[in-house]
Amino acid sequence: MLIESKQLACKIEHATLLSDISFTVAQGDYLSIVGPNGSGKSTLIRCLMGILQPSAGELILKGQPLHSYPRRALARQISYVPQAVQTQSMAFTVLDFVRMARYAYHHPFSEWQPSDEAAVQQALEITHTTDFSCRQCNTLSGGELQRVMIASALAQQSPLMLLDEPTTFLDPHHQVAVHQLLQTLNQQHGMTIIEVTHDINHASQHSQHILALHQGQMMWHGQASEFMEAQRLYDLYQQDFIFVRHPQTGRLLALADES
Amino acid sequence: MSRQHWCLLLISLGSLLILLLSPFAGLQGIDQEIRHTILHDIRIPRTLFAFIAGCGLALCGMVFQAMFHNPLATPFTLGVASGASLGAALSVFLGISFSFLGITGASLFAFAGALVAICLVYGISHLRYGFSTETLLLTGVAASFFFSSLILLIQYLSNVADAFQIIRWLMGSLTIVGYQEIWQLLPFVLITAAIILLLGRELNLLSVGDDIALSRGVPVKTVRYILFFTTSMCVGAIVALCGPIGFVGMMVPHICRLLIGHDHRWLIPTTLMFGGGFLILCDTLARLVIAPTELPVGVITTMLGGPFFLWLLIRHRRPQA
Repeated sequence: MLIESKQLACKIEHATLLSDISFTVAQGDYLSIVGPNGSGKSTLIRCLMGILQPSAGELILKGQPLHSYPRRALARQISYVPQAVQTQSMAFTVLDFVRMARYAYHHPFSEWQPSDEAAVQQALEITHTTDFSCRQCNTLSGGELQRVMIASALAQQSPLMLLDEPTTFLDPHHQVAVHQLLQTLNQQHGMTIIEVTHDINHASQHSQHILALHQGQMMWHGQASEFMEAQRLYDLYQQDFIFVRHPQTGRLLALADES
Repeated sequence: MSRQHWCLLLISLGSLLILLLSPFAGLQGIDQEIRHTILHDIRIPRTLFAFIAGCGLALCGMVFQAMFHNPLATPFTLGVASGASLGAALSVFLGISFSFLGITGASLFAFAGALVAICLVYGISHLRYGFSTETLLLTGVAASFFFSSLILLIQYLSNVADAFQIIRWLMGSLTIVGYQEIWQLLPFVLITAAIILLLGRELNLLSVGDDIALSRGVPVKTVRYILFFTTSMCVGAIVALCGPIGFVGMMVPHICRLLIGHDHRWLIPTTLMFGGGFLILCDTLARLVIAPTELPVGVITTMLGGPFFLWLLIRHRRPQA
């Protein structure tokens, strides 16, 4: 088991943000976390990143409590892609920014190694960002920047990648590009992925497992293929859905019913 | 050699040239013997002092701007300078005129004021929200206003002579005689510069964002503690010895960023050299413009740095996408 959550709870100033969250993620798994706004998805990601301390329960990473890892050691296990970054604070070239992700493998006096450069080049190649690796990050489009963020997370060479709504601000074309990239990472490179998303169709089609959060509690956890169910989606989002079958894959797709 | 190598090399050479030439400026037509005394006892120590103070102010400003993701941050943003100024104003108001180990009462009071400000800002921001950048910034600005109002109160209650002395102190000055102040200031700036030089990679990641820095392995809180305390002590020492000289700490890092980019591994040495050279240049002009009377150096730093910065900003303006 790569990561295991045991009755995890998180409180900030008497407000309970998460309670009794238990799940496991195996090596090579692709877990989508879904749920309405304010359901605790981002809190859970922040707990998994070790930014927030659980108020009860614990997270076990490779058999050891997550909070017992020093920061650098944790960064070698878990990487993170945020929803969006402030581009004006990114006055670095793509190459420099991706190189910065090798921080966890260095100390103030250590030299840049060939293995570092190899990891950076590989990350750029996988994400198809080599072509603009000399451009400034703050001149990139949203889609390009998100690929650079993923490249940077990849250069960390950690087995687990956390993504917080990585496609929210992207147009359909770039959404598909990021989805395909995550798919490739998961299936061809064995990367374990935990992704927070609002796109339930993407979650049910591309991920292996889904964890549905509702008001800080775990509402459902299981195989992604079994997720699409009218009552479940209504309970989760308080919204009716219409279901259609994908003409090619035959999988169920849900459309929010606006009538 | 890359553009960054050249920039750093030229700025360093320029600063060293200013450092070497400045003591001789304005010495023409003075008797040989007096000239020797002026040069050795006044000019050389003063130039060295300006260099060290300029290095310290510029570096601390750079750190604060990166740490708070705020281009308007200065070394004085966190209330350290106001605390020190309050200490100095109090010492003038109370008529204190002792000195301890060669440090004047005003400087000691100012340094004590800086320490009080550091503890207060740290204590309040730590108490409730656990030392986040936002609370730190807000607490610092609030403390700064509070101390400033106390200084105004002291000025109001003082007699004219004391009030004038306080105003002169608040303008900042590099008037020193002998090498004592240099030995007092040097350890603070040296230690701060060494620590900041070692934290270049951390500063790069912090300038992108706290969450990114954390996820890349930077122990953000620890780094922030270290930076907060070292830079605050350094600013406290500088302000205690030469008053709050404005603008260097805010503008020099920006000018260096425009010249050399945002990578702190280059930015730190560039800012260090530029800050030192810039403050000497301003001080030399302050001495010469209406010689034999001197202008407060803070006036020159702003008058010289402001237009230069605006010129750079316009020159570097990129076409909007």
